[in-house]
Amino acid sequence: MRLDDDEQKMLDGAHGELVQKCMKILVALGEIYGAEKMIPVNNVHSPGVSYRVAGDAGLNYVKDASKMGKFKISVTLNTIGIDSERWKELGFAEDFSISQLELLDAYKQMGAKEMYTCTPYLTGNIPYYGEHLAWGESSAISFSNSILGARTNREGGPSALAAAVTGRVPAYGYHLDENRKATCHIKVERRPNTDREWAILGYYVGSVASKDVPVLTGMEDINPTIENLKAISAAVASSGAVALFHIVGITPEAPTLEAVLGEQYKMVTFDDREYQKVVDKFTYTGSVDFVVIGCPHCTINEIEHAAQLLSDKSIKADMWICTSHQTKKLADKMGYTAVIEAAGAKIICDTCPVLCPTSSKGYRVIMTNSAKLAHYAPGLWNVETGLIETEDCVKAAIDGRWGGIKK
Amino acid sequence: MKKETLQGRRIVEGIAEGRALVTNEALSFMGSINSKTGYVIERGHELCGVCLQGKVLVFPTSKGSTGGSYMLYDVVNNGVGPVAIVNIEAESVVVIGAIVANLPMVDKIDIGRIHTGDYVRVDATNGRVEVWREE
Repeated sequence: MRLDDDEQKMLDGAHGELVQKCMKILVALGEIYGAEKMIPVNNVHSPGVSYRVAGDAGLNYVKDASKMGKFKISVTLNTIGIDSERWKELGFAEDFSISQLELLDAYKQMGAKEMYTCTPYLTGNIPYYGEHLAWGESSAISFSNSILGARTNREGGPSALAAAVTGRVPAYGYHLDENRKATCHIKVERRPNTDREWAILGYYVGSVASKDVPVLTGMEDINPTIENLKAISAAVASSGAVALFHIVGITPEAPTLEAVLGEQYKMVTFDDREYQKVVDKFTYTGSVDFVVIGCPHCTINEIEHAAQLLSDKSIKADMWICTSHQTKKLADKMGYTAVIEAAGAKIICDTCPVLCPTSSKGYRVIMTNSAKLAHYAPGLWNVETGLIETEDCVKAAIDGRWGGIKK
Repeated sequence: MKKETLQGRRIVEGIAEGRALVTNEALSFMGSINSKTGYVIERGHELCGVCLQGKVLVFPTSKGSTGGSYMLYDVVNNGVGPVAIVNIEAESVVVIGAIVANLPMVDKIDIGRIHTGDYVRVDATNGRVEVWREE
């Protein structure tokens, strides 16, 4: 691997021990993946910020780093394990919360921005087309690569920290043109309409593509919303490790199939049968004690929709609407929060059930409109999950039960 | 005892040995492993309910959340993690976790040659995996 003078100095220890250790990690990664050089970056979105994920090992890793130096470039922080302002009121465990706050202090001391969201692209960290990034958070990675045309590999906590300290990433993977070509062509016959249907398509794409780059066709005349694209981005990175996908006519690197399809590729079809297979994986009927929307974090439009559905209603099950604290401020201003809380639901900021500790309430079921949450919740929360439409999530919360989708 | 030597690629240097734990399904450390106990908790995964402690963990590649790097680091630091990792194709989230945890790791191995319960010595420094099996 070829390093420039600055990079060599970092590796040799001229900028201190932390920079040296971080450069060693980046060089190790670069050598594994055959990188020829480093690429300068100005933008890090750091994962591994929830204490549930980082654990004591991660906490100590970041605390040690914070004693040795600061971030060189702009760093936003991913979703954490508590609502940073209302954790006591919402009943997050004190021990966990204190360790979480300690971890945040270490990141803040290094210069990180307290964004605490899996949707940084909605709240001020907006990559431009072609920008090289060091991002974590699998759903945000696939969104920035695919929808925005920025370039990032799947960074874990330590490599994002290394990029933040050095301002470099090794030039491999999705940073390079040749690795952004599609290696899997998916013909979409069962076209998605709702966020849930986009998530179901994404879940299928992740499971067939694994870590290939898929390109989807048959959707050229669809005019998706940002929420549709957020839903598919999260789903592809849950059932698989997809960091980049193309949709012909929709995503920026795929004006045509020819523009993006590599020389070697496999071909599959997403039809009613494949659609039904994903649906069947997350089917639940019966009594419901917990309903969650906002994985990834809700946009203001999703909160508006939830407020409309919950207006003048009263819910039996507990319901969380997860979002960023920035978006909640707007929801407060728009009056949505008051409507949602009057119905008995809660807007939870900074966290979500994938990254917060399980509740002491002993929930048995989580109903959600998110394929990502439906995928992770059974293991993380020891619950049954049902993947249903947003309107049905609210209905299940009001009724305290879900009778299934009418055929 | 029958011995076979497989040659792959060094990902993280080091030498370790133990019984193999093999799965043909991709694995995510975030959401699939309890880092305090080392048990696999992903429902429906063929390793669900199995403990990783002391095992040479053999799987095709990793998937899922980027939280997996610290999760792997944590499970190893808690003393309940695997002693080495063998993949068909290393994926960055687990690679990064293995680097910071100093966990020997090799890829480009035909994992079909290794079975759960085989005794395995991983010489990651030289990219070599030695497998002993009862005949």
